[in-house]
Amino acid sequence: MPEFEPRIVAFLCRWCAAAGADLAGTSRLQYPPNAIPIRVNCSGRVEPQWVVEALKAGADGVLIGGCHPGDCHYVVGNYKTRRRIYLLRRMLAEMGIEPERVRLEWISATEGARFAQVVSDFVAELKRLGPLHGNGGRG
Amino acid sequence: MPEIKPRIGVFVCHCGKNIAGTVDVAKLAEAASRFPGVVYATHYEYMCSDPGQALLKRAIKEHRLSGVVVAACSPTMHEETFRKAAEEAGLNPYLVEIANIREQVSWVHSGPKATEKAVRVTRAVVEKVWGDRPLEPTEIGVVRRALVVGGGIAGIQAALDIANAGFEVLLVERSPSIGGHMAQLSETFPTLDCSQCILTPKMVEVSRHPKIRILAYSELEEVSGFVGNYRVRIRKKPTYVDPAKCNLCGECAKVCPVRVPNEFDRGLSLRSAIYIPFPQAIPSTYTLDAENCLGIVPLRCGKCAEVCEAKAIDFDMQEEILEEEVGAIVLATGYELYPKEAMAEYGYGTVPDVIDGLEFERLLSASGPTRGEIRRPSDGKIPKEVVFVQCSGSRDPEHHKPYCSKICCMYTAKHALLYRHAVPAGQAYVFYIDIRAGGKDYEEFVNRAMEEERILYIRGKVAKVFREGEKVVVWGVDTLTGKRVEVRADLVVLAQAVVPSPGTEELARKLRVACGGEGFLKEAHPKLRPLEALTAGIFLAGAAQGPKDIPESVAQASGAAAKVVALLSRPKLEHPPEVAEVDEELCSGCGICAPQCPYGAITVDEVAHVNEILCEGCGTCVAACPSGAMSFRNVGDEQVLRMVRAALEVEGAGV
Amino acid sequence: MKLAVYWTGSCGGCDVSFLELGMGLLEVLSRVEIVFWPALVDAKRRDLERLPARSVDVTLVNGVIRTAENKEMVEILREKSKFLGAYGACAHLGGIPALANQVNGVTEIVFGPGFRPGAPLGEAAEDAPPELLPEALSLDEVVPVDFVVPGCPPPAGLIARFFEAAFAEAISPGRIFAGEKALCEECPRTREDRRLTRIVRPHEVQPDPEKCLLDQGIICLGPVTRAGCGAACPKGGMPCTGCLGPTPKAGDPALAMLSALASLVRAGEEGESAFPEENKILDSLVDPIGTLYKYSFAKYGRPLLKLARKRQEVRA
Repeated sequence: MPEFEPRIVAFLCRWCAAAGADLAGTSRLQYPPNAIPIRVNCSGRVEPQWVVEALKAGADGVLIGGCHPGDCHYVVGNYKTRRRIYLLRRMLAEMGIEPERVRLEWISATEGARFAQVVSDFVAELKRLGPLHGNGGRG
Repeated sequence: MPEIKPRIGVFVCHCGKNIAGTVDVAKLAEAASRFPGVVYATHYEYMCSDPGQALLKRAIKEHRLSGVVVAACSPTMHEETFRKAAEEAGLNPYLVEIANIREQVSWVHSGPKATEKAVRVTRAVVEKVWGDRPLEPTEIGVVRRALVVGGGIAGIQAALDIANAGFEVLLVERSPSIGGHMAQLSETFPTLDCSQCILTPKMVEVSRHPKIRILAYSELEEVSGFVGNYRVRIRKKPTYVDPAKCNLCGECAKVCPVRVPNEFDRGLSLRSAIYIPFPQAIPSTYTLDAENCLGIVPLRCGKCAEVCEAKAIDFDMQEEILEEEVGAIVLATGYELYPKEAMAEYGYGTVPDVIDGLEFERLLSASGPTRGEIRRPSDGKIPKEVVFVQCSGSRDPEHHKPYCSKICCMYTAKHALLYRHAVPAGQAYVFYIDIRAGGKDYEEFVNRAMEEERILYIRGKVAKVFREGEKVVVWGVDTLTGKRVEVRADLVVLAQAVVPSPGTEELARKLRVACGGEGFLKEAHPKLRPLEALTAGIFLAGAAQGPKDIPESVAQASGAAAKVVALLSRPKLEHPPEVAEVDEELCSGCGICAPQCPYGAITVDEVAHVNEILCEGCGTCVAACPSGAMSFRNVGDEQVLRMVRAALEVEGAGV
Repeated sequence: MKLAVYWTGSCGGCDVSFLELGMGLLEVLSRVEIVFWPALVDAKRRDLERLPARSVDVTLVNGVIRTAENKEMVEILREKSKFLGAYGACAHLGGIPALANQVNGVTEIVFGPGFRPGAPLGEAAEDAPPELLPEALSLDEVVPVDFVVPGCPPPAGLIARFFEAAFAEAISPGRIFAGEKALCEECPRTREDRRLTRIVRPHEVQPDPEKCLLDQGIICLGPVTRAGCGAACPKGGMPCTGCLGPTPKAGDPALAMLSALASLVRAGEEGESAFPEENKILDSLVDPIGTLYKYSFAKYGRPLLKLARKRQEVRA
């Protein structure tokens, strides 16, 4: 059986996390291709329902990338997201889904290496957790 | 939603070998041609090149494309390029999206997995375009006038710069004269030029400027509207003196029987009820202070009017409410000193010979209550020993203000130095925590005070100040030697913390501008947008935003003015249409959205309303809206969910 | 109009709720022919089975689908009815009984280890209780549902609205007999300070009678719940718990409300230093699933729960 390759949906804010991902590219840093990025203006646009829908639709994990505290382009959007994800993770845990599958990370536009590291770490963690959909080894 | 059958075109860029070296572009284009909604897919060497753009334009026309996905480099590179090209081919630019397969795929992955990810990424973006609607930027006119609130040096500078660029300016000042605290100062650091001498020419320039209208003795009452289109109500208090007739003879003040503390001299002298704050005041007129006059309605005294040969006094003058329209607002409401009354350790302001920095400025000033001779308030004696206390109320999070007031190190050095010049035999002590002399020629200035002028700098905090007979006793600790210090001084000058001027928070509320924890007006971004408030069209200048010295205030004022000029020079304000919107049929007016918006773009009555011009497009309110009445143009929930599902679809990967 | 009313896993409140019509009930009764309504008229399953297909004009089912018998009965009713509607929160969304779905193997916990659903409890096998389904379901998970009269129980105004439409033969498919806007629309409480500086449970405070309950820290699901009851609970000092179901565009009401609540939380000025205090406020939300999914867990919590179950099996 081939090794389980987790599938990740990554919601990245345009100003920090997506720019950090771009910098990882410009710096030619290799990292696992498991995360499909979806760019949004602000991590504050990310709705808990999107995260859950992604898990339901086949993702093994969801990454939300926003600006570091104090750096949000829209000043306070990342704080809202932090609280939403905090509460969502608690609710997922109560339902019996590992909260580690939902990850909120602060990644600045200068942190290309950090972006690559975050994705690599997340992939490793999801491999350890195993597939959410019980059909590991696909893809 | 009625589903119009989409006709999406996908254009895969090789970017030379940058993409094609890793991603199988032919395979990607082939897979894309089978995506739902796609009617045309191709790949080309350099999509951003002229032939590449021509290819795009031709395909839009030939295949009657309803949307375009360019799978290429990061959207930060060429999104604009392709949107413009599409627009030239007659396609609404907001129906063009980029799938980033270079920075986020080909440069970071390798092997067949890279192609697979490129397929997924492109597939997701096709879904986005499917859901995109054509949009038009919002346009709105601009009222070509500015309002400047506060007539200190920052407000004066901003008003002059805006007016000199050719725009009308309303300059609103709360007190009877412009000039602010700078008018009260004796000399300025580090050059020691006379404050009035450099300020008054600017004040005169303001008063003579054909584009500037000064509204002194006036306050901003109400603000509505938004960037480019503010409506303001200004309350102008009656001065009971017609400035056009007043010839400044001063006879009225002489006969006035009232004596009250003179604010300009910080209470160190008295003034009459009819007065001019200082001789160079602008507007150049006397003002009758109704609060302290014996009586206007009914008239109880009237002596001033009797002696006024110019017949300038008009007891029937009424308060005026002015309604004005402006396109931009500069807030330059300045600072005040933290009250001595709050300093338990320094006698609560009850010891007459314990004064604050501005009081000392008045003692130093040639036009001050002592005509520039340093005489202490209690008995008018020339003090032989003076203690200057820095950080009084500053850098003390437990009892007072946590922040550094920034200007005190410098003005205390100046005070001590000027004292030594005025009283050569006198001894000056300065208690300090640290010396912060960051600024051009500042360090040199402090060194001069320390070394050349024999001023005794003692590193340590003053624990207690109290009166003992004719002396003011200062207890402190010299932290460098660890010894207790007692100075039996004649005068103590407290470098009180700089705080926002009274009413700043109320004003901020009216303008929907944020205040920081300490009440200073908050800038839109601490590093990148220090001259403006988060509320579009409102700019900040001077110490209202945080403690600042004169050069910094002037620089910020000029910067804010440049921003105002840039705003007012635009023929129309265009705003990107990718913003939040409300479905009024679904909105219950619960109001959860409004506090999420840092820009004050949302108002709620029966339902919520988004001001498109103010909305910056973060979408935080949309995610917070529980009922789903709020949505985000071209980043709808259903759209994103389709992107997610498409990205995860196994069959869709097609490789 | 031929009317059938049936209860599945129900508390009985829905059947009683028709009395809320008051004098209006007389008008309703004069215009309907009750062909099947176990709570009112003695009729057995076989009586129902004898009815021709599509011979009942309108059937209202209340209660959650919890047993094999529930499932069979609603399948028969579906066949016999022209229009079949979910009546009340349990049939609509699963209701409170569906919160039991949170616990895997709830029957084992309740009836003891080794219990097999459907196994006879006593000697008389004929009286054996029906087999329990592994989870409680909303009506539309079992049979197609034409319309919904929501509520716990449905409020009189909405029942009247339903009968009006039924008598006029104007039940449009998919219609939910409740408002399109959220409950706040009809709530008289004033909303001023839209922030949550604490979260309290209703019994812990004496709420201000004028102010919005959410502003007072009480979790009120009004903003995500359809209007239609006249904001009866908030008017009575109790928060809305969501019985009329989510507004048309809310999606999963619990997650929508979770997002709103988290967005409103404030522990002083927002920033990194406020994180620990904000977390404390969020932690003080007792039983997020029970609070936010109170009536809707079967319908909206189910897909995630299925994933969780699958994970548990894989790990086991």
